[in-house]
Amino acid sequence: MTTLRAAPGVTIGQALSSPRSRLLLVLGDDDLVTGHRASHWTGVAPAIEMDLAFATIAQDGINHADLWYQLIVGEELAGNDPRVRAAVDAIALGREPQDYLHAILCERPPRDIAFSVARHVVVDHVVATRLDVLTGSSDPAIATLAGKLAWELRYHLQHAVRYLALLAGARPEHRARFTTALEEVVAEAQGMFEPFHGEAEVVAEGILPVSQRGIRARWIERMAPVLGTHDLDHLLDVDTVPDAASGGRMGRHSPDFTEDMWPEMTALYRADPGAVW
Amino acid sequence: MPGDLPGTPSGDATEDATGEQAGDVRDEVRRAVESVPDPEMPSVTIGMLGMVHALHEDHGSVRVELLPTFAGCPATEMIRRDVEAALHAVDEVTGVEVVFRFSPVWTPERITSEGRERLVEFGIAPPVAPPGSQAGAVGTDAAVTVLPIVSVTEATRGRPCPWCGSTATERDSAFGPTPCRDLWMCTACRQPFEGFKSA
Repeated sequence: MTTLRAAPGVTIGQALSSPRSRLLLVLGDDDLVTGHRASHWTGVAPAIEMDLAFATIAQDGINHADLWYQLIVGEELAGNDPRVRAAVDAIALGREPQDYLHAILCERPPRDIAFSVARHVVVDHVVATRLDVLTGSSDPAIATLAGKLAWELRYHLQHAVRYLALLAGARPEHRARFTTALEEVVAEAQGMFEPFHGEAEVVAEGILPVSQRGIRARWIERMAPVLGTHDLDHLLDVDTVPDAASGGRMGRHSPDFTEDMWPEMTALYRADPGAVW
Repeated sequence: MPGDLPGTPSGDATEDATGEQAGDVRDEVRRAVESVPDPEMPSVTIGMLGMVHALHEDHGSVRVELLPTFAGCPATEMIRRDVEAALHAVDEVTGVEVVFRFSPVWTPERITSEGRERLVEFGIAPPVAPPGSQAGAVGTDAAVTVLPIVSVTEATRGRPCPWCGSTATERDSAFGPTPCRDLWMCTACRQPFEGFKSA
């Protein structure tokens, strides 16, 4: 049972535990958490272009999460009713750590540029693959939003692929460092495709037209030529989820989230639930 | 529902591309909405950007359906407030509802020819038209003529420079100061400039 910190009188239109809500939490939480981690580079990235890019990618991630959460609240898209805003804030910031359903890879600290770019390449290809699938959703609101976000995500992919080329084509010690990071990221990315409670129901209803496992197959198909250009596609030969990266979809998170990101991200909201700014 | 037209945005970037519901609303209502400036590019209006999908007026109650350029644009709430304020200033308007919708998806060819010229004046290169679009034909000024693109690779070069009009340009970065803009460099006049994203 999900407990939610929220301002008095805030209600969520649909139970957070319904299969559809859980799908929307998987989508929104991946975006929110990845976006939050991307914001780390604002002001400190090694190049001004990268600084701007990660700032926008962070903003996109957090805003895209907001839009997925709005579909849980059940009001018209981007509703300006203050109760909608309050409910979306409560979903984003008012949950306990174990009620977030993002993959553990998303919560990892930014570490260095090699790791951050590797995660950017891999996660954005997962997200893009998933959005393509969701444009065929039987839920019109989800299909429509997926179409809009897929259109925007092309810019993320262009940026990711550009820096992939730079780092994979760099001097041997830099390529080696990037390859090590990418290997770890691809392994941990397997946790993104773990099943979540309610997956069977949303797949049966066509809300999620392809299962998590099927999305993984499409992701590999899409990722292989991208990595193959740099002779890195062998890294995709992973068939298990590392223990350390498993469980996010069930709400099991690492200290990177429970002790680092979650306390910081939610500090203000917990101090004053329903604060408006 | 009043907002069912059109299924896809029209390829010709004319003033009419934003006003599918002519006749449904009073001219002053339409003008009030379409003349709301973009908060971050105030020389360009939301009408010129092609963000106004549909308008409906019923006994003083106005419903506005807008297409955000980018879903993550933080200016959408400002635009909503500005539209509400603009409409409340119109005689006999008693109620306003502003809705953002994502279908049809806003695409760059919705920007009108005047909008493209204003963008250039503001120092922002307007987007490149997708293949097959008529938008490449709009505008007689060399600086606003756009090149058709056939691939992602070509989208990263050749955008006419808003300062000198040269197409000897390259995209520096896919991300700029706002979600809707990217960064370019002109090798002819050696000036950096911003572009309105074309993706």
